[in-house]
Parts: sequence; structure tokens; C-alpha cells
Amino acid sequence: MNDHPDHPDHPDDPEIPLAPFPTALPASPFPPLEGEAAEPYLDDAVEEVRQDPPSDWIETADAHDLTTAQEPVNPLLALGRFAFPPGEPPDEEGVAARDRRWTSRIIVLATVFLLIFNAVSIQNWSRQQAPGWVTTTVRRMADVWAEQIAQLGADQPRQTVRDGYEAARDAEWAGRRRP
Amino acid sequence: MLFPTLAFGVFFLFVYFTAWSLDRDNGRRKLFLLLASWFFYAQWDWRFVALLIASAVLNWGVAALIARSDEQSRRKWLVGLGVAANLLILGFFKYYGFFVEQAGDLLTRFGWERDLPLLQIVLPVGISFFTFQGISYVVDVHRRKTPVARSLLDVMLLMSFFPHLVAGPIVRASDLLPQFDRAPRLTREMATHGLLLICWGLFKKTVIASELSVRLVDPVFFDPAAYGTLDLMAAVYGYAVQIYCDFSAYSDMAIGIAALLGYSFPRNFDQPYRASSMQDFWRRWHISLSSWLRDYLYVPLGGGKKGLIRSCLNVFITMLLGGLWHGAAWTFVAWGALHGGVQVVERLGRAALGDRKGPPAWLGVLVTFHIVCLGWILFRAETFPMAMEVLTGLGRFEAATLVTPFLLTLIVGGLAMHWLPPRAAEGIATWLKPAPSLTMALLLGAAILLVEAVRPDGVAPFIYFQF
Repeated sequence: MNDHPDHPDHPDDPEIPLAPFPTALPASPFPPLEGEAAEPYLDDAVEEVRQDPPSDWIETADAHDLTTAQEPVNPLLALGRFAFPPGEPPDEEGVAARDRRWTSRIIVLATVFLLIFNAVSIQNWSRQQAPGWVTTTVRRMADVWAEQIAQLGADQPRQTVRDGYEAARDAEWAGRRRP
Repeated sequence: MLFPTLAFGVFFLFVYFTAWSLDRDNGRRKLFLLLASWFFYAQWDWRFVALLIASAVLNWGVAALIARSDEQSRRKWLVGLGVAANLLILGFFKYYGFFVEQAGDLLTRFGWERDLPLLQIVLPVGISFFTFQGISYVVDVHRRKTPVARSLLDVMLLMSFFPHLVAGPIVRASDLLPQFDRAPRLTREMATHGLLLICWGLFKKTVIASELSVRLVDPVFFDPAAYGTLDLMAAVYGYAVQIYCDFSAYSDMAIGIAALLGYSFPRNFDQPYRASSMQDFWRRWHISLSSWLRDYLYVPLGGGKKGLIRSCLNVFITMLLGGLWHGAAWTFVAWGALHGGVQVVERLGRAALGDRKGPPAWLGVLVTFHIVCLGWILFRAETFPMAMEVLTGLGRFEAATLVTPFLLTLIVGGLAMHWLPPRAAEGIATWLKPAPSLTMALLLGAAILLVEAVRPDGVAPFIYFQF
């Protein structure tokens, strides 16, 4: 009989973990949680040092003909406690593209915001342009748009600020009347 | 096409999205930006686009010849030719009328009256800026400070790039050419900082500078004799705030627009009215011009290496020519002479004091600010008699008629912004950077809406366009 303590014939030995639990997991791709030791069981796992296999050198064979043996890794075990592997961190180009999209979103959303709440500016601008096919078209569209937006009350924030500003601008010193 | 207009907004949206859609091919992107810049410039006068192209071809050709030449005397001859050609272009368009007029007056005084060939020459917008850029490129290649541009396209874009084209900052080849070598990257930091600078510039130009100009400065300087001490003082302080808010707003917007396209420009202003000496003022005001004058005029004249008297003379000449750069008029020359003269006095004072302690900093700030304001009277007045009228009127005590609480708030606010923490915009940008795009869009939209709600209708051209 084999008396070695690791032998499967000794299932009651508390030092031997029961199958199918692994004795050594590969390192988790995630950092340890706060207050958690970094995979303590890994410290105990002794990496098996394999001896070189006996030489199978065949003079006439091409190296590409030889099969390469790989230790099968159970992908579920490799995940450890996690449900799925983390994605690759974005490279420099990926970060730049993300920042560009972020900026473009800001510009587009701010433009839409101003189209709604600042419609009267387009109207004012179009009225200052010399008459022409383009400017007349823009002016008519701006007139309709400003009118429709005003019905929804979207012109009120701008108008309120404007009224307050004009009152402050035209204010005179106490006791002095406006000439 | 002015920055704070709807037309420019539409133009910029088109340029922004098209330029970034071309970012996989840097050459096509640069070509598109060049065409967009020419379109932008053609809005003033399409004929001057040809001048811009001719100037770029000239500087590219001269720099290429300098780079190919190993012989020192030939390189010197070529750089002299390049600088002279640039100055000839600038001189013809900007100073021809002025010098012919002065020559005519001088001949008349000596009794040799002649009909000199006076021409009505339209001044191309921004000619002083792109000519100085061309000179710096040629000289830097000669000094081996910057490598020769890889292509004519790069030099053309360097000189024509629309954010800095008409009123600076003067972006040197060594600043921009390396950025043209690769497709630019846009980071959140650049974008946030750029958007912040655009909003801040919009506010300074369309609200502070416009209101002060229309309601106080223009009426007073139009007829100074009609106003007393308080109005004149308010107008002078108001003009100090107006010109700062006007010019720094253009620079801020230019830097912000370039940042959104992925390019970085140097800073042009650094709270100039908190300078404690005139030398300090020129390290904070129009930094790209003052550093240009230092590197391409003051240093070649000998700088400060040839003793105190020679350095004083050099700084005076530099400031005198700097004044003339601003415009073809004796008032600008006098303005330059005032700045140069005060710097000479400061240098002599520092030399006399040696290691002894000088006046307190607050006194330096106060005195410097008032000398700068004195200079602004010369700068703003169209003629010497008008400047003298403002100065004599300061002693005529009368109640203020134009100054309102609102205008006083603008003046005080415009000066107070110089005591904000240095680099406040960068700090706020760093703080805002992690915000989601929706939050940022709402903040941006609200900020622009606020400015749009209070700004007067229409917008006056930037003061520095005329230079």
C-alpha cells in the first residue's frame, strides 16, 4: 500500500482538500478586496517543478511536426471567485477615442440645449444678415422655431435673466435720476 | 467672421466634426484644416488669402534653402533675405501710407514739396501676426532651434491656422510644427480646459468689454472735453479693463478652440495688472509678442550682455519698435517710448539700489498700473491733442455723468479678476474633468445661455484685429 499522506486512499486526512476543490488556483486577475489577504492559499501552493522529459530528438523530423503538450486549464477554475474575466484595459488610442466621444457628446448636447433655450439668438442673428436666399430661409425657420419654443415656455429662463440684467444695468446711484 | 458669433459657431461645429472624422489620416486632416482656415480668412477679404499663401511659400522656400546650406555666410545671407522680404510685406501694407505721409510733411517743412504716390492700401487682418510667425520660423531654422518643416502644407497651416490667424497668440514653429507631425489626441483635460476658456472669453468680450466700450469708453474718448475728472478717470480705468478683457478673451478663445481640435497653444496673458514693475508687466501681457520681441529683436541687438547702458538702449529700442508694431501712428510710438523709458528707469534704479531692498510690492503694483493706464490714454486716443485733452481734463473736477453702479462693478470686477488664484481655469478644468458628459453639456449650455442672455446685440471687432 502507498503510505504517502497525499494519496487519495487517505480521504479523511484534514490536510488534504477534497476533490473537486483545487489545491492551487492561478492568480486572480483582480486585486484583492480591501482588508482581504491576497489569495493566501496561493502562498502555500508549491509550484511543481517538472523535470525535463527524456530527449525525443529525431534527427529527420521537422520541429513543426512535433506536438506541443499543454497542461489543460479549466477556464472555470481560472476565474476564481469571478463570474467572467475582465476586459483588456483600453490602450492609448482607446482612451483618446473615448475622450473624443465624451467631448463630442458634450458639444452636441449643449448645442441642442441652446437650440431650445436660446432660440431667440438665432432669430436675432438671422435678422442682422443681409437678405439672400440662405439668410431668408434661416430667418423664416428661426422665426417659426422661436415661436414654437416660446409656446412651451422655453424662452422664459433667458428672458428672466435678461430682465434682471437690464434692471441692474440701468440702475442709477441713489438720489440721481437717469438723464 | 468673429469668434463670438453664430456664424463662427456653425463653422466651428463643421470643422470640429470633420477634422476628427479625418484623424486616421493626418495629412488629409491638415489639408482640411488649411482649407477651413483659408475659408475663415476669406470672410474678411478673399484676396488676402493669396497674400497668406505667398507669405507661406516665401518662408517655406527660404527656410528650405537655409536648411540645405552648410556655408555660414550663405545661411546668413538667406536669413537676411527672408526677414527683409517679410518686413517688406508688412511695411508695404501697414506702414506705406504712414511713412509717405511723414515724408511729405518733412519735405514740405524744408520747402521741397512734392506729390508723393499715396495709395489707399487696405490693411489685411492679422498681417502683423502671420508675418512675425514667418520671421520666427526662418530665424529659428537658421539658428537650428527648429528643424525645417516636412512639407509646404505644414508651413501653410502654421501660418494660416484659423484660431490664431487674425489676432494671435503668435505661435512659433517650434511650438506647432511638432504637433503637426502626428494626428493629435484630445484628452478630457484639454477639452474641459478648452470649453472653459471659450466660455470665459465669451463673457469677457461680449459682456465686460462690450458694455464698457459702448457705455463709457467710446463716448468719453470721442469728446473728452465734455467730461470731468470722474468720468475721465472711469473711462481710463474702464479702457484698461476693456482692452484686457477684449484681447485676453480672443487669446482664451483661440487657445480653447485649438485645444478642442487637439492642438496646444502657449499662454498669452497672466494677470498683467498685478505686475509690480514694467518689466513684470511685459512678462504677463501679450506674452507671445513680448517673448518674440525679446528673442528676435532685443537679443540680436546685444540684449543685456554689453553693459548697463547698452542694455537700457536695447530695451528702449525694442519697446519703441514694439509700439510701432501696434500701429502706424505716433501715438503708438509714444506709447512704446513710455514703456521703454520706464523700463530704463527701473533698470537704472535696480543697478543703483544693488542689494538694498526696493519699494514694497503693493506700491510697485499701484505705480505700474497707473503708468500702464497713462500709456493706454496714448494707445486709445487717435491723436496727441486728444490724448492731451484727456490728461488736462483729469484736473477739471465735475460730477460724473456716465458712471453707473453697473459700470463701476464691471471696472472693479475686471480688475479684481487679476487677484483670482493663478491658473484658476486649469484648476477648475481638473475638477470638472471627471463629470459625465450630460452634466458637462448642461453646464456648458447654461454658461453660454447666461452670456447670450446678457450680451448686447451684435459684437464689435476685437481691438487687436487692427494690428
